[in-house]
Amino acid sequence: MSKLLEIALGLVTGIGGFLEAGSMATSAQAGAKFGFQLVWAIVLGTICIAFLVEMAGRLAAVSKHTLPDAMRERFGIRFFTVPLVAVVLVSFLVLASEIGGVSLALQFVSGVPFRWWAPAVAIAVWLLLWAHNFSVVEKGASILGLVTLVFVVAALKLHVSMTDIGSHALPSLPRHDAAQYWFMAVSIIGASVSPYLFYFYSAGAIEDHWDESYLGVNRVIAGLGMGFGGSVAVAVLAVAAIVFHARGIQIERYDQLPLMLADPLGRWGFILFVASLGIACFGAALEIALQIAYLVAQGFGWKWGENIKPRHAARFSLMYTVVIVLAGLLIFTGIDPLKLTIFSMALTALSLPVTVVPLLILMNDREYLGDNTNHWVANTAVLFVSVLACIVALVAIPLQILGS
Amino acid sequence: MNLGQALLDQQVVDRSGELMGKVDGIVLELREGKPPRVARLVIGGGTAAHRLHPRFASWLLRWRRRWGPTNDRPLEVPWSKVRKIGIDVKVDVDAAQTPAFAWEHWVRDHIITRIPGG
Repeated sequence: MSKLLEIALGLVTGIGGFLEAGSMATSAQAGAKFGFQLVWAIVLGTICIAFLVEMAGRLAAVSKHTLPDAMRERFGIRFFTVPLVAVVLVSFLVLASEIGGVSLALQFVSGVPFRWWAPAVAIAVWLLLWAHNFSVVEKGASILGLVTLVFVVAALKLHVSMTDIGSHALPSLPRHDAAQYWFMAVSIIGASVSPYLFYFYSAGAIEDHWDESYLGVNRVIAGLGMGFGGSVAVAVLAVAAIVFHARGIQIERYDQLPLMLADPLGRWGFILFVASLGIACFGAALEIALQIAYLVAQGFGWKWGENIKPRHAARFSLMYTVVIVLAGLLIFTGIDPLKLTIFSMALTALSLPVTVVPLLILMNDREYLGDNTNHWVANTAVLFVSVLACIVALVAIPLQILGS
Repeated sequence: MNLGQALLDQQVVDRSGELMGKVDGIVLELREGKPPRVARLVIGGGTAAHRLHPRFASWLLRWRRRWGPTNDRPLEVPWSKVRKIGIDVKVDVDAAQTPAFAWEHWVRDHIITRIPGG
């Protein structure tokens, strides 16, 4: 594949794939509750994920190892178990959130409660993986994911002021509801810095046989793709700030969410909101289910790959089957998808040091990276954001649970 | 050479490039008057579990008696079959002729092929 085409595809994936249940829910709630004040959390999270995605791609291109492969080899099985368990747990909750997101979208159009949709959604996700033509589906989902750009259109139509966004790009102290403010901030960072994103990216780079000649492509895709993706999340926050916060409306129930686009864009706004939610969450659900199976298979040396028939990669296929069934069941219990999503994002933030520090150690190891080890700026940025997010989450999660 | 670093937990690949597991253990041969040398590589979940925690390994073993393939025993690859240690450990073995895929095949035959489309 020509490198320009790869860059284009990578950017489309970055833009169309950035928004999923987590970033949509956290940005919308933050905008409704705190107006533009939490823009900085999206900025911080996006910078951090751009660095991490670039690292995962560089590791794959230079060392030819996927992230789990390299981690198990470098740290041994005992230490490898810690990030393995953390990433699988967090990814599982995020997978359930995505299935919940698709089910909610279906509830909005049909009126049938989301929990009854959960089994059908889980089966649809599973079927696409089981039919082993995932690469087609993935590219399709990324392109369809461009529908989320409707949030940018809505923000422009609402005459969002760039000074409102720009003036909140740096952190500031809350004027009210401090506990909830910090909880929202870490949830946003958790939503942006989802470990599944960079684990998945490293597997893709290996499957596409990247070598050192791809380092430039990798940098462009990571930087611009995540940057554009982050801008869509900022647009969601801005729309919520104008539609909800400016009028003193708080999002307490998930069925208020479609109002975000129905207000500026009318009937089409409702349809496009449902389409954005459904498509974005469905695409993410596919990727996360696959990523959990990748992680375990790569960690234990089983055969893995996105386009292998189930009987030729039995343990790998069993793995995604089990997590999809369990995630579908979790939504089927009727758990509130919005609350589950926000909580999963906060938990992601809490687990960041465990999932990110091993990658940083690898990225500074010349045995793996040769002359392409990390620059101190990348080390500092990622370490700073993940440790900070973890500490704030440690305080904010208990406060949030006590408060509600 | 640091054995733990260079060998342990590396991906093992068979003669035809099939992924056959990780180096879960190393068997050393003690020789009188000479330094010990690597005799065999061990690939097997039980060995890996033992490195995690011995109690975890015995708990796993109890489950194994009730469930799973019967031909699953740790696979030992003699050092003479090791061809190359690079990104992976390449061994001159046909994985299909060893117990390396005992679990893979058990899952395939007992679960995957029973699901439509599998």
